[in-house]
Amino acid sequence: MSFLLRTLTRKREVDDIIRDTLDQVLVLRFGRESDPVCLHLDDILSKSSRELSKFATIALVEVDAEEIQVYVRYFDITMIPSTVFFFNAQHMKMDSGTADHTKWLGSFHTKQDFIDVVEAIFRGAMKGKLIVNCPLPPQKIPRFQLLFKDV
Amino acid sequence: MASLADSFLADLDELSDNEEPILDNEDIDAENMEEDGDGDMADLEALNYDDLDSVSKLQKTQRYNDIMQKVEDALQKGTDISSQGMVLEDDPEYQLIVDCNALSVDIENEIVIIHNFIRDNYRLKFPELESLVHHPIDYARVVKKIGNEMDLTLVDLEGLLPSAIIMVVSVTASTTSGKPLPEENLKKTIDACDRALALDVAKKKVLDFVESRMGYIAPNLSAIVGSAVAAKLMGTAGGLSALAKMPACNVQLLGAKKKNLAGFSTATSQFRVGYLDQTELFQSTPPSLRDRACRLLAAKSTLAARVDSTRGDPTGKTGRDLREEIRKKIEKWQEPPPAKQPKPLPVPDSEPKKKRGGRRLRKMKERYAVTDMRKLANRMQFGVPEESSLGDGLGEGYGMLGQAGSGKLRVSVAQSKLATKAAKRFKDKHYGSSGGATSGLTSSLAFTPVQGIELSNPQAHGNLLGSGTQSTYFSEIGTFSKIKRT
Repeated sequence: MSFLLRTLTRKREVDDIIRDTLDQVLVLRFGRESDPVCLHLDDILSKSSRELSKFATIALVEVDAEEIQVYVRYFDITMIPSTVFFFNAQHMKMDSGTADHTKWLGSFHTKQDFIDVVEAIFRGAMKGKLIVNCPLPPQKIPRFQLLFKDV
Repeated sequence: MASLADSFLADLDELSDNEEPILDNEDIDAENMEEDGDGDMADLEALNYDDLDSVSKLQKTQRYNDIMQKVEDALQKGTDISSQGMVLEDDPEYQLIVDCNALSVDIENEIVIIHNFIRDNYRLKFPELESLVHHPIDYARVVKKIGNEMDLTLVDLEGLLPSAIIMVVSVTASTTSGKPLPEENLKKTIDACDRALALDVAKKKVLDFVESRMGYIAPNLSAIVGSAVAAKLMGTAGGLSALAKMPACNVQLLGAKKKNLAGFSTATSQFRVGYLDQTELFQSTPPSLRDRACRLLAAKSTLAARVDSTRGDPTGKTGRDLREEIRKKIEKWQEPPPAKQPKPLPVPDSEPKKKRGGRRLRKMKERYAVTDMRKLANRMQFGVPEESSLGDGLGEGYGMLGQAGSGKLRVSVAQSKLATKAAKRFKDKHYGSSGGATSGLTSSLAFTPVQGIELSNPQAHGNLLGSGTQSTYFSEIGTFSKIKRT
């Protein structure tokens, strides 16, 4: 299932793929293979990768690799899985009603939701926007409670 | 019928009178030629019921006997592979094969003649039989079996005919209008049946012989369709060169059965296949592909026959290659189609939207179009202040609506270009009005504040807009928009 998608473990690979994906939305999933939510998301990603192949590229980033920690710190990835969108090496933000616009947390309910999100990002990016609105209704967006530890 | 026969006979008597002296003077060597000529004449003389011999002369001819003798010898000798170096036409065996082909065609014609003879004789006894049993040999066998019997339950037709036909024959025999034949007629009929069966046996022998030699004569053709079918094709076509000259569509139909037996449905009968459907290649194709396979087979076998007729490839390799090609093509047709891959979604906004047009769309757009009233209100006359709803420039301006000097007091909604149906409807309702469609409320006079009374032509359209000068309120074709109950 996720053998169809590239898994990136080195910083260089991540750099290359961000730089080299032209005129396509780049979807980077930060996660690890042992997590069940991550597996669910991976399943959706791999099933929709062929359908979106004309305007999106999908890749998986192993969050436990050492070289990747740079990105983990840069994007402030704490929730597994997290999905970050790029377009022509520009980081695309999406306002889905949650606090964090820079990435998508968690998995999607259905494959169609994911396709809708990618399409919204693509349309916004083609218009030149850097932040787009989420097309999904609130019930389809996974919400997480923010628990402060040791505070 | 009798009078027709008599008239024909009268004609023929003249002809035969002329030929008599020529016949007597002919040499026996030329007997073959004259026999053929006689055969043609015998055709016409077949209406003479009395003598079978006058009808069927083939078995008496020298040529027939010669060839049958040679065939018997050759069949007993077994396969004899003559030297390949010899030119084909000089080979006596080849000549024999050619003769056999011609002979088999002659035998077939002869059988038809005899069948007519039997049928004409047996018509007195059992007229319906000829329409139930079409095949001449089967007919001859049945006639021989039934003989003069009136009660068909005593006659056992098993093995001669399919059971359904036997049933139909028995039923028809019980209600037949025929009467038993007189003795000499019966004897003649049985003789004719025997003759027909003997000819059939002879034809089979000839075909067997040709088939056994087929690999030598036409190696390529027999490589594709098999020697039995090749022999039949050659026999029916009348020789290898005749077969080679035929177009492939004719080859496909050689040996096709035309008539359908009584009571059988035509839905299952295979359409347009002849001897070729006995080939192994054809039998092994699934029924859905049989039409295409037959056409392909006919085409390639015609090619092979042409190669053989010019002795282009005596080894038969061309035939084997063609056979392989046919087999591969049939296999390819049977392959399942490639699996469907899910199609990727198109890039958003890359395909321009298809705009539709047409009458329906135009009609819909008309409801939102800018009306003539609004157009007039949007424009202003030069140097003339416009009136406004609240007066003194406050409120909405009226533009050129109702302006002095226009000649019209009121502006109407323009007749929709597409409201032809509505116009038609109201035209029909004008059964009361005489000439012109003017309502009683239009007037040629217009009262204007400046000039007083203005005379204007109610037919002329104003300069303001094309057709926007008719009164809506008193329009001839307008309808009530809303009727409120008070």
